[in-house]
Amino acid sequence: MGVIVKKVELTWLDRSYVWPVFKGMAITFRHFLKQITTPTSKRFTIQYPDMKKAMPPGYRGLHELKRFEDGAIKCVACFMCQEACPARCISIEAEEFSELNFTQGFEEKRPSSFKIDMLRCIFCGMCEEACPKDAIWLRNEYELAAYDRLSLNFGKWDLINTYATVDGKARLAQSQESPATPSRPTNSGHQADPA
Amino acid sequence: MESVAHSIGLSAVMTWTLLKVLIVFGSVMGVSSLWTWVERRGSAMLQDRIGPNRALLFGRWQLLGLPQLVADGLKFFFKEDQVPPHVTKRLYWIAPMLAFVPALIGFAVIPFGRSFSYQGALYHLSILEPGNGMGMLYPLAIGAVAVYGILVAAWSSNNKWAILGGMRASAQMVSYEISMGLAVLAIFMKVGGYDPGEIITEQAGVLWKVLPNWFIFRQPLGFLVFFVCMFAETNRLPFDFAEGESEIVAGFHTEFGSMKFALLALAEYAHMTTASALIATVYFGGWSVPFMPEAPVLLTILFFLIKLLFFMWVFVWVRWTLPRFRYDQLMFLGWKVLLPISMVNLIGNAWWMTRGGH
Ligand code: SF4
Ligand code: SF4
Repeated sequence: MGVIVKKVELTWLDRSYVWPVFKGMAITFRHFLKQITTPTSKRFTIQYPDMKKAMPPGYRGLHELKRFEDGAIKCVACFMCQEACPARCISIEAEEFSELNFTQGFEEKRPSSFKIDMLRCIFCGMCEEACPKDAIWLRNEYELAAYDRLSLNFGKWDLINTYATVDGKARLAQSQESPATPSRPTNSGHQADPA
Repeated sequence: MESVAHSIGLSAVMTWTLLKVLIVFGSVMGVSSLWTWVERRGSAMLQDRIGPNRALLFGRWQLLGLPQLVADGLKFFFKEDQVPPHVTKRLYWIAPMLAFVPALIGFAVIPFGRSFSYQGALYHLSILEPGNGMGMLYPLAIGAVAVYGILVAAWSSNNKWAILGGMRASAQMVSYEISMGLAVLAIFMKVGGYDPGEIITEQAGVLWKVLPNWFIFRQPLGFLVFFVCMFAETNRLPFDFAEGESEIVAGFHTEFGSMKFALLALAEYAHMTTASALIATVYFGGWSVPFMPEAPVLLTILFFLIKLLFFMWVFVWVRWTLPRFRYDQLMFLGWKVLLPISMVNLIGNAWWMTRGGH
């Protein structure tokens, strides 16, 4: 079925070309006046390095590994995110630890290393969806650029601290973490010990 | 004046002429280069953009993007002056000058202020004294020469895009020249002379008690033709057929780089300045101040400047409002619309004059 395109009948005034030119110039001049009287901050253009776009709440930007108020990492190294990740860019190594303050003496699991290769990540948010502990969030930071590939390979401590400055939280360093409990001999321990 | 002239060893007349040449050509060049900035910022404002503002003076002052002008100038000067191996060397070298100089010297007859007498001597504010016998024919003739700059640039480039661009530009200028000539002819007829001074004095006074006695109100049809032809003459949008990114790359200046390109680009703006001055002189009373027959000299210069800059702004404004024509539309407009209109204008005015109209 064809579509009937309605031809616009131009009046002689419109066909004269002169009148439409005036109309067009009036339009552009209105834009000119509007743009020139608008302060820079209210214009359409966001002048990037000086101004930044505020991202909407659901924006999927750089990840953050969440922590409890006492600073302990929320992640329990369940590997759900690693499994869900379509880009296969998360690699986790788990360890056990126990500390009286945090775990009341129970053995708990946590990642000993948690790496996300930001160069491969497609920011799909699947890891956030999959996480049972709400421990990984994708937030509003989008300025992800670096001079070399390795510095975009975020480790556990990078990921914990990604939004520390924005949220006004203290940056956590590896030395502040309670040591892991070698309650069970690790695989490497087995291999290291010939006996 | 006498003492200054004496101290540099020239006659008073010579010094005055030299001074005028310096002032006029200096300001035309200044305004032309300034207008590259107006073009970019103004077009940005017309299109809800920001325009160039990243160049900072001493890394600190943004000054509404004006340092961009300096940065561009410096860049053009320090760029390698590449001459492609396939060009015709001699023509390639003189083409930018051939484009720039006519655009500049067309300004020479245009009076930019009221003549004044000082210590018994009469001083005229135009480089060439009025009554030189060339009058308005001079800028028109020079404007016609300007096509050689583009044509030589195109031809010497030895490049098919350039030649296509040059061909288009020359065809366009030739076809619009006729209508333009006929349009001003009606003015000459009315004034009874073609000296710009006479044209301006003719426009003094008041029309129908409310309007200044400018030719735009007396010959609107002629003005329309002249105005459109000025756009074609300066190769500005909507008639910029000498170049065209999508069809013929950069057209006639495809092969030009560094300062040669800058000269070609600047020639367009110098041309625009001269064209605006022409429009202001012929149809808007030149330096005359409306409703003030005895305006002081400085005020007349100011009014001339205002009119000039306004029309230069209109050139920019039109460029960023209208889409380009197609080449056949351009020819259609030139030969089948503007030429008849200008003829009707001429004959109608002649008839009106025989009936004693004004
Ligand atoms: S956002 Fe998607 S691609 Fe990136 S780490 Fe999470 S699941 Fe993998
Ligand atoms: S899904 Fe959540 S808790 Fe499980 S490993 Fe990933 S971040 Fe940690």
